[in-house]
Amino acid sequence: MSTEKQQPAGNGRDAENLLSVRGLQVHFPIKKGILVDRVVGHVKAVDGVDLDVAKGTTYGLVGESGCGKSTLGRAILRLIEPTAGTISFDGVDVRAQRGEDMRRLRRRMQMVFQDPLASLDPRQSVESVLTEPLRTHGYGNGKADHAKRVRELLDVVGLPANAAGRYPHEFSGGQRQRVGIARALALSPDLIIADEPVSALDVSIQAQIVNLLEELQEQLGLTYIVVAHDLAVVRHVSDTIGVMYLGALVEESPSDDLYAEPLHPYTIALMSAIPIPDPKVEERRERILLTGDLPSPANTPPGCRFHTRCPFRQPKRCADELPALREIRPGRKVACHYAEDIAAGHIRPAESVHDPAATEVGTPTVVAS
Amino acid sequence: MSLLDVRDLSIVFSRRGRRDVRAVDEVTFSVAAGETVGLVGESGCGKSVTSLAIMGLLPKRGAAVGGSIKFDGTELTSLPADKMRGLRGRDIAMVFQDPMTSLNPVIPIGLQVTEVLRRHRDMDAAAASKEAASLLERVGIPDPARRLKEYPHQLSGGMRQRALIAMALACKPRLLIADEPTTALDVTIQAQILELLKELVVDSGTALVMITHDLGVVAGMCDSVHVMYSGRIVERASRWELFEAPRHPYTAGLLASVPRLDQARGEKLEPIPGSPRDTIPWTQGCAFAPRCRNRIESCTQGAPELVADKLRPDHDLRCFNPIDVAEQEAVTL
Repeated sequence: MSTEKQQPAGNGRDAENLLSVRGLQVHFPIKKGILVDRVVGHVKAVDGVDLDVAKGTTYGLVGESGCGKSTLGRAILRLIEPTAGTISFDGVDVRAQRGEDMRRLRRRMQMVFQDPLASLDPRQSVESVLTEPLRTHGYGNGKADHAKRVRELLDVVGLPANAAGRYPHEFSGGQRQRVGIARALALSPDLIIADEPVSALDVSIQAQIVNLLEELQEQLGLTYIVVAHDLAVVRHVSDTIGVMYLGALVEESPSDDLYAEPLHPYTIALMSAIPIPDPKVEERRERILLTGDLPSPANTPPGCRFHTRCPFRQPKRCADELPALREIRPGRKVACHYAEDIAAGHIRPAESVHDPAATEVGTPTVVAS
Repeated sequence: MSLLDVRDLSIVFSRRGRRDVRAVDEVTFSVAAGETVGLVGESGCGKSVTSLAIMGLLPKRGAAVGGSIKFDGTELTSLPADKMRGLRGRDIAMVFQDPMTSLNPVIPIGLQVTEVLRRHRDMDAAAASKEAASLLERVGIPDPARRLKEYPHQLSGGMRQRALIAMALACKPRLLIADEPTTALDVTIQAQILELLKELVVDSGTALVMITHDLGVVAGMCDSVHVMYSGRIVERASRWELFEAPRHPYTAGLLASVPRLDQARGEKLEPIPGSPRDTIPWTQGCAFAPRCRNRIESCTQGAPELVADKLRPDHDLRCFNPIDVAEQEAVTL
């Protein structure tokens, strides 16, 4: 299925990339001082990310809260200005665009937000929500064209035509998210960045929106970046998945391979922690529990970002050498010095690791359940 | 004998000038010591209101609680407020969903944890503070002595949730109600918290009521599972039974609409059509009928009762036209 999905774009990863990001950084300054602001440090929300998204495919970004996945999504659209790096969209250098050029470029890159109730103006009718982008970007010739487009959009996202006159509070969560998607589609974009598109919705509704996104991709040849914390959903919709930890990608893989064989210790732990709705599977799974919390992105650990919580940590290299994201097999990139050894089973997760530096965030343990 | 016995629980909210809302009706379940029971359903199905009713936390005015809630033989629905205060926090404790809103932001963690100990276990400040530190340690908070002096905003989400659990465990409750205890947390933290709750049930024989919308969480830890829809229990079975052969179309629909990590990708998900708002009142028929694939005529003519399933042992069902087990096996193959 996944290979079929990638076909329209050519041969998967060798296909033409709609989006190429290199060395993207978003550092937020931490300021102190009453009269004069002094910069005392930086929160490295996104710290050097490279990614390529082929036309017509879906790239999934996963990670826990605070890992920088949403910031990365927004930085690609320059909704948050990146502090370094390049973004190339269909051959255009996005960061070099100014004023009117950037505004025109935005027609082709749209966003779907997490909470449709928060991202829709409660006092704006659906018609007005959908007409606004059409007006701003001078779509068609006047009101009749706009009304026609609104009807088309409602139809495409599966809302009744009479929804146009209604207001956000009159809809259920799933319908509101459809309005949010219709708004993103209004100007026929090429790229849609969806930030947690289903996590605010009820379980039975999530599947409707997931299916809608997939249908739209097939019909309109859209390219998606889906940002979400729910790995099961991301894996379902994505062709390629990037796993983020503390502002950087630690693993990138075709989505079918990621669950079958996660390579990075963080991905391994993440996969093992996700509950699966089947008691038989749950009973015999080996769960790798990470103790402690995500370190602060203002004060990232030296060496490998994950080494303070890593159950596979080795005495050498991990604490003092930052691993690069490298391709160890075709299509599979991982940022771990020992990925090959872990994959081959030479290194087992530690029962308990004792390191004075790690006591702050606890010590990893393995629990067989 | 079961520790908690809920019989025919109904909760009706009334407001002047508005129609009464029957949030929960005919809810019956029991929990024994050392047992974990799951209440599963989507938002608005009445699962959280049920837990508030057990805790006696519903407003006195505007919410009418019917039926019976027996805790170790004591009827809770008619218990005077001062007696209830004696039980609440000591014998029955609750972990709420959102640790940020259920902790007081302007009071240090330590004071909030020791409050329970001083109220129910008559400890003096020094002893309570020592006990609080050991509780925090037990739930896996490093450096508890320092954390006790800190305010909720200084703790991470996972740690706040653990602090809440520590408060709930302070008096070694016999019954713990966990209302979506991990929904606000990341999966790796969720795994830690669930492990902690499992240990608690095994080690101290606490009865646990787990309220969640996450079927994966249920599959991992609940002995028996109650699926709720629109205020009523529509299916009840052991987790083994329920996941192997869901008989109610709603349960089956829920399972089919979540993508599974361990299954081949690419299959289209099968969502349940409509939204949880599209219900009909139970007095007119089955509330799920408007969204149901298996709807037959009788579904909209009267409400089905929750009765023992004829085909499967230890399985209760509220459905006129349940999913055929044979048909289901064909689907899973």
